[in-house]
Amino acid sequence: MTFLEALSAGFSLVAQWESIFFLGLGVLVGVFAGAIPGMSATMAVALTLPFTFALQPISGILLLLGVYKGGIFGGSIPAILIKTPGTPASSATSLDGYPLAEKGRANEALSMSLYSSCIADLISNLALILFAAWLASFALNFGPPEMFALIVFSLTIIAGVSGDSLIKGIIAATVGLILATVGLDFIGGTERLTFGSVELRGGLNLVPMLIGLFALPEIIAYIRNPSEKDQKVRALGHSVLKWVDFRRSLKSIFRGSFIGVFLGAIPGIGAAPSAFLSYSEARRSSPNRDNFGKGELEGVAAAEAGNNGVAGATMIPLLSLGIPGDIITAIIIGAFMVHELTPGPLLFQNNAEIVYAIFIGLVASSFLLLIVGSVAIRAFRYIADVPANLLFPGVLVLCFFGVFAINNSIFDVAVMLAAGFVGYLMLIFRFPAAPFLIAFILGPMLENAFRQSLLMSRGSLEIFARGPITILFWCLTVLSITMIIRSTVKAARLKREAARSAQSMQKE
Amino acid sequence: MRKTLTAMTLGAATAAVAVPALAEYPTRPIQMYVPYGPGGATDISGRALANALADIVPRSLVVSNRTGAGGATGSVAVRDADPDGYTLLFARVGSHTVNPAMNPNLPYTIDEFTFIGMYEINPVACVVNSDSGIETIEEFVDFVKETPGGATFSSAGVGTMPHFASLMVLDAFGVEDLADTVIHIPTEGDGQALTAVLQGTADIFCGSSSPALPFIESGQMTPLLVTSSERLDGFDAPTVEEVGKPELLALVGWTAIAGPAGLSDEVVEKWGAWLEEGTQNPEFNRLLTSGGSIVQYMSPEDTVQFVEDAYDVFRALVVELDLEID
Repeated sequence: MTFLEALSAGFSLVAQWESIFFLGLGVLVGVFAGAIPGMSATMAVALTLPFTFALQPISGILLLLGVYKGGIFGGSIPAILIKTPGTPASSATSLDGYPLAEKGRANEALSMSLYSSCIADLISNLALILFAAWLASFALNFGPPEMFALIVFSLTIIAGVSGDSLIKGIIAATVGLILATVGLDFIGGTERLTFGSVELRGGLNLVPMLIGLFALPEIIAYIRNPSEKDQKVRALGHSVLKWVDFRRSLKSIFRGSFIGVFLGAIPGIGAAPSAFLSYSEARRSSPNRDNFGKGELEGVAAAEAGNNGVAGATMIPLLSLGIPGDIITAIIIGAFMVHELTPGPLLFQNNAEIVYAIFIGLVASSFLLLIVGSVAIRAFRYIADVPANLLFPGVLVLCFFGVFAINNSIFDVAVMLAAGFVGYLMLIFRFPAAPFLIAFILGPMLENAFRQSLLMSRGSLEIFARGPITILFWCLTVLSITMIIRSTVKAARLKREAARSAQSMQKE
Repeated sequence: MRKTLTAMTLGAATAAVAVPALAEYPTRPIQMYVPYGPGGATDISGRALANALADIVPRSLVVSNRTGAGGATGSVAVRDADPDGYTLLFARVGSHTVNPAMNPNLPYTIDEFTFIGMYEINPVACVVNSDSGIETIEEFVDFVKETPGGATFSSAGVGTMPHFASLMVLDAFGVEDLADTVIHIPTEGDGQALTAVLQGTADIFCGSSSPALPFIESGQMTPLLVTSSERLDGFDAPTVEEVGKPELLALVGWTAIAGPAGLSDEVVEKWGAWLEEGTQNPEFNRLLTSGGSIVQYMSPEDTVQFVEDAYDVFRALVVELDLEID
């Protein structure tokens, strides 16, 4: 089959009402599932899988892809409205999205999140279609040592989300790293910090930690001091996104999309680190740097571009090598296998029409996301208008149900409550939650990659400089740390000078 | 009015409470735990079985995941449940033979479960990267012997089937001092373990044949050995009997239904009959075979025998080769 024949065969597979229907249905299911706290995109895809068995192969795969895309965007809705990230990937979105909602600009934040998601999604899909082969060979060269160097570099983004005090950010990150070690030792299989508890052997689950850290502190603060929020009437969340705001965020959207494509093509990283990396890069280079974390539209745009940019790119290792990049693509491989399709290089030879149908379907999904997302925003934005004394109890109930449902485990609910208490203490003492979370997500990857590398090299450290990719990331890490030190020193000097001039003014 | 209503509700409630003692099992939905994550091999086959049983079992089967600690979290949850037949487990080769045989610190033993019946077997295949130039298991064994401390194998984690499988195969082929000659590189699942072979991080992977099949078909990997008694479709590799190692036939994956220890005979017998009928469902068979499994029903007695035999073989080897996880 020539390229054009395959393309037209693929097009005729997608250009049926049935395919478009299932793709749209998938996006719809995904957006709503992603919007429910605790119901991550992964779970939504897993729960949809059995329904695809009875469908045509292409309809089933498009349905799953729709759920995936919709789910990643849907997670940003509760992240913005109630500071409860629907998926781990959307926690970076709540850093600026929730302050915006507090100011009555929920609709703006949601619109920005949607446009940014759709653009990043489209870029990611185009990257898949155009650069799949090139990015796949890159992914194949990405072994444990390269992964280690990348994660070390990614840890420097903690500085970008630490807020006022770098020291506090580093302390929070250290606690996150320590808590990530709870459970079974990955290499030796021994127990760590489990205190004999069977439940702790499985480690602390990410989603209960996430919801506990982000959503609960707000609620505890409200319970302790309800009058503060009740008197401060929230403006209605119907403000409209301005073209100027959108335009100045475009640079961050594109940068975030490329970060997403790059990290998505590497198996095993996922959308959450990408969102944080994109966010911290945007903050570093934005003229509105100081406004980040206090309600900056560009921050929402960057975070969402970072996590949606991953969505198309994770299909690169899947389609070209047959490797699942994350849990979601592992589930999608299941759908391929059930329909007797073999993901990997053979797919291009034997079922080229399916490959092109997936390509066309992915591009179509970006546009369907725009339509479904606009409708969803209209439906959900009223949540921003609900008074706190009604909203917070509802959120609390939702958190309990969502966290319990992940694993049918009361222990997870206890983890959420404990994380909520820690999160509240962090709020009081002004410790930022984001570095904690990033370290908690990256910690296991860091340790696994480090120890796998040392196993490969029989303990020789030379393996960490084994090729151009590792050296590139080491250079980036050094550069990044130098810049952090310089800006910290500069900020301290400015502060001193400001204090001195204030003193001398007083003397006069 | 209100009084009658209360009386009626009370009456209904008493009736509902009284019924289980009198009526036949099952009188309410049955909770079935998958000890691994959603979308994984055990999850897919478990849910497919529940679908096939939907018309056979008089009450609904509620399948849910209890993930964590290599299957230990879900297994312990079922062990601690009441042995009334309403909380059951999809027990897996990893959680119920390999891990118990390798890990003395596991919070449960296989004696704490009642095995109800097996329904699925997954043969193990050993695969290497096609670029390695290795084409037979003998060549690989020579490679291991020539480069002591140089060969690596990947697994889905400590105490999983692939961790044990590579060691058992190499031992069968006479490789000595396994702890020093080969290096174990654990990853987080079969997909990552195969990726490691594809990237050259590991030299060999021995595990369930189904996730390896795509890489074999595309020519990225070469199969060296399969542990089924007959050759496997798509795998151009000899069986363990052909290479003269029939003892490796014990090295297969499986999924069975189990409950807490002390399940009544009534429950076990009923489930035996349901499974026998359910495993004949054509849709269920199509789904499992497309995933590379062999549908095989085993009666409760045969299942217990099979699991105990496999455990004894594995345990003996773990002790002999000092493979215990400490």
